[in-house]
Amino acid sequence: MKHFNHRLVARLSGMLLLVMALAMVLPIVVSLHYADGAQYALAFSGLVFVALGLLLRNFIGRNASYELRERESFWITAIAWLVVPLAGALPYLFTGALGTFTDAAFESVSGFTTTGSSVIANPAAIPQGMLVWRSITQWIGGLGLILFIVAFLKRLSQGSLQLYSAEFSGTQQRKLHPHIAKSVSRMWRIYSLITLILVLLLVLAGNSVLDSFCLGMSTVSTGGFMPTQFGMSGYSEQTLNILTVFMFLSGVNVALLYNLFTFRWHQLRLNHEFVLYAGIFLFAALSCFVAFSVANGDFSIANLEFSLFHIASTISTCGFYTASPTVWPFWASVVTFLLILTGASAGSTGGGLKLRRLMTLSIYLRNYLTRMVHPNVVFAVKIDHKVVPGEYVNKIFGFVFLYICFIIGGAFVLTFTGSSIADAFCLAAANISNLGPSPLINSLGASLDYAALPGLAKWTLMILMLAGRLEIFALLAVVSPSYWKRR
Amino acid sequence: MGIVLMAEGGLMGLCLVPALHFADGTALQIAACAALTIVMGFFLWYRYRRDTLIEDRRMSYLLVVLLWLVLSLFATLPFLATGSTLSFTTAWFEAMSGVTSTGATIFPHVRLLPSSVLLWRSMTQWFGGFGIVLLVLALSPRLGINKYSLYTAEASGADNTGKTAVRTVVTVRRTLSVYLALTVAFIIVLWISGMQLWDAVNLTFTNISSGGFSVNSDSIATITPLQQYILAGAMLLSGVNFTLLYLFFTLKWKQIRHKMDQLNFFLLLCILAVAFVVGTLHWHSGYGWSDAVRLGTVQTVSALTTTGSVVADSTLWWTPATFLLLMLAICGGMAGSTTGGMKVMRVLILLRNSRSIMRNRLHPRVVNPVRLNGGPVSSHITNNVMVIFMVFAMILMVGVMVLMLCGVNATEAIGAAVGCLTGYGPGLGASGGFGSYAHFSSAAMWFCSLLMLLGRLECMTVIVLFLPRFWRR
Repeated sequence: MKHFNHRLVARLSGMLLLVMALAMVLPIVVSLHYADGAQYALAFSGLVFVALGLLLRNFIGRNASYELRERESFWITAIAWLVVPLAGALPYLFTGALGTFTDAAFESVSGFTTTGSSVIANPAAIPQGMLVWRSITQWIGGLGLILFIVAFLKRLSQGSLQLYSAEFSGTQQRKLHPHIAKSVSRMWRIYSLITLILVLLLVLAGNSVLDSFCLGMSTVSTGGFMPTQFGMSGYSEQTLNILTVFMFLSGVNVALLYNLFTFRWHQLRLNHEFVLYAGIFLFAALSCFVAFSVANGDFSIANLEFSLFHIASTISTCGFYTASPTVWPFWASVVTFLLILTGASAGSTGGGLKLRRLMTLSIYLRNYLTRMVHPNVVFAVKIDHKVVPGEYVNKIFGFVFLYICFIIGGAFVLTFTGSSIADAFCLAAANISNLGPSPLINSLGASLDYAALPGLAKWTLMILMLAGRLEIFALLAVVSPSYWKRR
Repeated sequence: MGIVLMAEGGLMGLCLVPALHFADGTALQIAACAALTIVMGFFLWYRYRRDTLIEDRRMSYLLVVLLWLVLSLFATLPFLATGSTLSFTTAWFEAMSGVTSTGATIFPHVRLLPSSVLLWRSMTQWFGGFGIVLLVLALSPRLGINKYSLYTAEASGADNTGKTAVRTVVTVRRTLSVYLALTVAFIIVLWISGMQLWDAVNLTFTNISSGGFSVNSDSIATITPLQQYILAGAMLLSGVNFTLLYLFFTLKWKQIRHKMDQLNFFLLLCILAVAFVVGTLHWHSGYGWSDAVRLGTVQTVSALTTTGSVVADSTLWWTPATFLLLMLAICGGMAGSTTGGMKVMRVLILLRNSRSIMRNRLHPRVVNPVRLNGGPVSSHITNNVMVIFMVFAMILMVGVMVLMLCGVNATEAIGAAVGCLTGYGPGLGASGGFGSYAHFSSAAMWFCSLLMLLGRLECMTVIVLFLPRFWRR
């Protein structure tokens, strides 16, 4: 094996930890403000981050060369997604919000992967500083840990594209700017801007600053941690409607949102994925509205609002839920389950298989069927009037296959811990798509009570969340034998 | 098509033998059914004997689907005529389950049926399990059908062991001879092992075709362990590619050596699964070693080859074991065998393809083709396999949902969808184990029959009929 750039790996991980230490300032301030007694524990975990970060960055990773190849970029991605969530679990332990390391790790991984599955029974009872920390983990994870550093590291210019594609694997990304660091920083800017707008709107709608902040971060990152015990039931209608809009937006490709905010409206129409996304959203919401109304016997605005909220929450894999209508029609379950698998647009903060991939596959399938009848016809798969190369279609197929394998494998392990087969599939699908909680799972009879799951189940779900967030390849690459083979 | 019907009528005529022998009073009805089928078959054959040349691919797809539909239509006759079941829906379900060699039954107490009907059930499986298309090809080469396109319609996708034979008819004859030889051999072996001839014939018919109907309500649970192992052997052989079997039995081992990849994977999968299931049975469910090994082996083989003979109610086992059996059924046997499911060959290609994609991402400049049997698999085939996998997964998912819409609960819907689509048979819950599908609503039954047809014809053949372009000039 050629020289493997361990130092760079250490340096970058160290920098991530320092960033986290920086992010810890906010929870500490909040903690001091509310005098919730968690300030020392939070400060202590901040110090641990600083110490670990300095150790990795300046001691192990000193004089690191910034040369980066494909292999190291996978390794960095995997390590970053291992070290950061585990370190992020420390505050939960120090403040006593969660008792065991498994629980803390679960909550942290669920946060960073923007899944939103929570083991905290009553979030209102933990220190306010921890609530803020929980939201921040989601917000950092939303666009991706690696993107966080790529934006700041001008020196990485060579390797940043590889890092970028290791984390955002599988989808053909149109870059916002020829220079990768620039385009990433644009993504961060638009992301922050949307968050800011949302938080302001929520405050204007009459929520407390703390709630607005937590909800804003959970929504824009499509995470789905909720600051109260009973889902979103306690919030005003206005608040929920605002959230619906922003959940919908956070399922859109970030690059496209940038165009939206710079008033290049025509891009929206040209982007077939967006058109499909909006179409699916409207169709699903309206059909659910009809289903709910018929099942419950009233065509009320409340039902419409609920349908829009629920579908937006599902398609963007955000995972908020409110009190649902008393009768949960079967059609709503079907739609919800399908949306869990399809997920949001490629290049958004949402999870799932991504619509762009499914578009490619369905076009290929149509061509295949036509070829069965007319064997000599030659087709190309086109999206947005551009041909998708055959090799790329093959990659998408491979991805979908592995995705399904992970769901099956995850469900298999879950059955060891006493879940029924149907429950196991639901849990596995909801967590690999980074959805987290959903009323669907309740309606099928499984329990949303992640806290009651045994340890093995929790670790399995964590792996599924990571696999879903890293789109499998980065995770699988580092454990595959050929990765470590000398060449 | 007429010829196939006549053959079916002939087979139905064979059912007269037990009817007369056991004198259970159904002989007259069966004879009437057989006569009707033969007459219809003759009529069709006579009417259309001049235009039998099929050049169009579209026609061959349509023909295959129609064949199965017509066959099960006529297969319902004995059930209805003898009064075994009164509604057409249940008769259709049973007939479809027979000709697609699924083995899902709507009779909770099989023992109560007249013996002619029992034999008929076994016969439909034996007949259907092998694929009627193959029979057509073997018996009437002068029919002039474009054999290749018909053959691909039946066993679409990855069956390159069979397809590479230039003369398809020869392949089919070989396959048929292996099939017949195996059937006769197993009947004799079972007879020698102390089983009654009646049971031996029926069980061989249903197990060699990977069907899974039985003449007893408790499937194969009450026969002796030795006989169960023999049947497991029959099932295992039914999951092996028939071309390989032919080469093996004619001692052309040198030719086999280059085609071992699929077989190795099949056997490996089988051994691992058996080991796992036996392990859980012994350590978790508390069976003794001999019971655990027997039940585990037979049931696992039955699942992997999508036979569906039940030696113990696996729905009562530990959930991981039940789960694994379902997954094995989805995986299925080898391509070019009588089994259903995805086929081991495809799973192998899918796995190797993901490996190659992975390597490609790590080392973008290295060429990594998918290899099978020592040679590279073209990306065209890989993508086709992928498409079939996707469609299979999609249908499975939609199937579960539609079944739930028909009022089946979630667990049972998963079981039934897997059971019907893969041709395994028993599902989960009340329809699993020794149970039956009798409590399903008629909508659910019709849908299950559709799933069986889809699974047997490997989805694409049926789906292509729904394409608007298919019907356009």
